[in-house]
Amino acid sequence: MAADLQRIRLRISNKKAYIWDVDDISTVRSKHHICGILTGTLPHLSQQNAFLGIPLVLMPEEVVLLVENGFPLHLEYAILVDDPHAHHQPNLEQLEKWNVEQQEVIKQQIAVLEAKGAKESTNTGRAMSAEALRKRQAREENRAAKEKLLQAGGDPESLGGLLAPEVSLEAGSRPQGQDTPESKTLSSGHTVVIPASSTSSLDWYDPNASCSYTTIAAAKAAGIWDYPSTLQERAKCGVFRSLWEQGYFMGGGIKFGGDYLVYPGDPLRYHSHFAASVLDSPLSSLRTMEIVAHGRLGTATKKAHLLCGWDDEKKDVSYLTIEWAGFG
Amino acid sequence: MESHPSYSALAPILRKYPRAAGALFQAYNDVVFAQQWTDVEVIELEACGRAAIKGRKPKTEIDLHVVPCTLSETVSFAWLQDAFTLLENPAGIYLAITSEDASIVYYKISQGIVKPPV
Repeated sequence: MAADLQRIRLRISNKKAYIWDVDDISTVRSKHHICGILTGTLPHLSQQNAFLGIPLVLMPEEVVLLVENGFPLHLEYAILVDDPHAHHQPNLEQLEKWNVEQQEVIKQQIAVLEAKGAKESTNTGRAMSAEALRKRQAREENRAAKEKLLQAGGDPESLGGLLAPEVSLEAGSRPQGQDTPESKTLSSGHTVVIPASSTSSLDWYDPNASCSYTTIAAAKAAGIWDYPSTLQERAKCGVFRSLWEQGYFMGGGIKFGGDYLVYPGDPLRYHSHFAASVLDSPLSSLRTMEIVAHGRLGTATKKAHLLCGWDDEKKDVSYLTIEWAGFG
Repeated sequence: MESHPSYSALAPILRKYPRAAGALFQAYNDVVFAQQWTDVEVIELEACGRAAIKGRKPKTEIDLHVVPCTLSETVSFAWLQDAFTLLENPAGIYLAITSEDASIVYYKISQGIVKPPV
């Protein structure tokens, strides 16, 4: 195995595929047009769903496509990792090491908390400690300077030196020389960095031994994966691949009553042009009411509806596009 | 019924495909009298068990095809493809969907992946 061959680890748990590595997420999206859905929430804000992070959950069709393609030209290939079995039984030494590290982290957290608590208790009731007075004075000077500057018609950002005292107080340990404009906005804003990591850094995590699979068939044989196993699943994989090969990006189609939303480029950049629904076979029944519903919804949302007819014998997809006729 | 102005043009085909007769009669009358299409003809689609309507929108020169069906029917992808084949593969056909209360709606079905108009 060449050292420069990058493996994209699709970690399988309960027959769902997750990507935990941010670089892999970026690779599959930018190089392979596979988006998936970020599902991780913040540990202390698990109810919010506006900003989700790792892991990325993949649709089963995306998994099948990534694994089947292999991308030899890009020096990357996706493997399925049986994640529960990649966590081996740790030995005593590993456990002790882990325990020591845990204790250190706990100590660190307690120290930070205590320092914060001490700071807050001295500041209660606008305490006149030397530190607080110095800060307040610095802020007032700053404000005065800014006003003066505004009156003079200048740009407050251009005089970065004036803002430096306050920022360096908040930033604490950061050396003065590295105060770039970006670091200022970051430290004075509300950017929170969540150290999110999977368990792959654990000493007893070893996905290479006997729990990685390079083909769908091998993963199926091992019992960790079973998609596609029915005609409908084969049809969906076939349609997904066909659209993907034409350069489209696919997302889930639930919002528009289809199987996929079809985008002409990255969904962050484009609106979707189509909602697609998959028909398992040329003879599978299609009610005319469905044509009306898809057609009308699509037209109302500036999309056309794609009927994707899968022929399992020919392994081939045909497309029909539905839109409202504009009369009648 | 026999005294309806469309009857003479449709009678033989209505008798041949009685199950699709209602939809064809309704769609034909809508196309001719409401949409005012010109050069309207009826084309038999044997594989689809009905007839289609060929005609031109007022003041246009392009032949368009209407395939009538009812809201209560169940069709299939192959059925739609048969209609395209029998009509000699036009870029698109209009599916006229009729309901019992005499309302009618047309949907344009195009072959392949066709971007919606902006």
